[in-house]
Amino acid sequence: MSEEIKVNCLGENCPVPLVETRKALRKAEKGDVLVVTGDHSASKKEIPMAVEAMDLELISVEEKDDYWEIRIRK
Amino acid sequence: MSKDIVYLDNSAVTRIDEKVLDAIKPYYFDDYAVATSEFAYTMGIEAKEALENARNTISDSIGAKSEELIFTSGATESNNLALKGVMYNQDKKGHLIVSDIENFSVLNTAKTLEREGYEVSYISVDEKGKIDFEELKEEIRANTILVSIQHANQEIGTLQDINKIAEYLHEKDILFHTDATHTFQRIPIDVSKTPIDLITVAAHTIHGPRGIGGLYKRKGVKIKKLMDGGFQENNLRAGIENIPGAVGFAKAVELITEEENSRLKELRDYLIDKVEEEVEDVTLNGSREDRIPQNANITFHYVEGESITLHLDMRGFAVSTGSACFSKSLEASHVILGIGGDHERAHGSIRFTFSRYNTKEDVEKIVEAVKDVVNNLREISPLGKKGSE
Repeated sequence: MSEEIKVNCLGENCPVPLVETRKALRKAEKGDVLVVTGDHSASKKEIPMAVEAMDLELISVEEKDDYWEIRIRK
Repeated sequence: MSKDIVYLDNSAVTRIDEKVLDAIKPYYFDDYAVATSEFAYTMGIEAKEALENARNTISDSIGAKSEELIFTSGATESNNLALKGVMYNQDKKGHLIVSDIENFSVLNTAKTLEREGYEVSYISVDEKGKIDFEELKEEIRANTILVSIQHANQEIGTLQDINKIAEYLHEKDILFHTDATHTFQRIPIDVSKTPIDLITVAAHTIHGPRGIGGLYKRKGVKIKKLMDGGFQENNLRAGIENIPGAVGFAKAVELITEEENSRLKELRDYLIDKVEEEVEDVTLNGSREDRIPQNANITFHYVEGESITLHLDMRGFAVSTGSACFSKSLEASHVILGIGGDHERAHGSIRFTFSRYNTKEDVEKIVEAVKDVVNNLREISPLGKKGSE
């Protein structure tokens, strides 16, 4: 059964959101969905780059009121 | 961990050589006695012999006498023992001189001594990382006991002219210590010709085991023992001897060749040339000529080093950065700042350090990856011109 794993990176600057995302991905099972939230603009672009490099599925990148949300499937 | 990883962080630690591990094994499984048991049984005699043979090999390699080498747990302990050992051994609290860009095991030891009431001077370096020799001369006082200047820098690889420093200090009757962690076996040192009083050496940078290092102490130089305990290491370093480590250290020393050092230099220069040729807006940190054979340190402007290292890691490359954001301290490299670089230059610096196991193909692969990663990151960089365009 796939799980949804939340990674809260609000208030964290580059490279912390990417580091936290990678740590969570290491623990996640295949099929799990990571929901990463943050407000550092460079990370919003950097995480999708990393997802591509790791050959994972980028489900969505959404802009919310004052933060962004990235969904990744392992 | 993937076997395919290209590891270029060999100044942090090197992969142990199989021959070193083979040399060590008998001292864990067969002859595992401690050296002080030489007074009790044969196994102890053999253990003591192994320890002394290792000591001979290592001290010989720098022109020293066997009894002038103290085994320690590594470079940090050796640096502590050299600085505190000398300074604590004086009747009055004296004066110590170190450079601004020393390894933390020297710098923080100096700061501890300062807090304890010792006088400490920190001398600056130029834009290549060379110490200002005139400043060193000016800083010398009547009560200067010891000067500690590294042989080469841990981050940018710049070599200091330790022969000139040693000769000068010897004339002035001031003790000289050098941290040779990153030069040991890579750049020759001969204490029978150069009057250096104390030298820090370690095994982890030369494909030896971790947890073993040494302090060369010229005969006649007095130091205070730091840890209370037994009478090991000529009553200068208490604790049971790390005989497997010492044996492995000696084996690692035997395995280094001049050819290997030349090959490392070729890899270094190949990487520097290729990066400068293929990536825009880069700065080589340190001296082009006076640097250790295994180190290249380059700033990629407008990008953060942590991002480069993470993206390189995902592509199978291990390198390090002068930026310290991983610790969340946001403190930039004191070395890059020391050579006059700003925070941007420090945060974008990447250290590539080579070993026996790297090849020209590794360099070609990493340059391609760096080019791609840096260009991608510059597109999204909050740091500089490309990101804000």
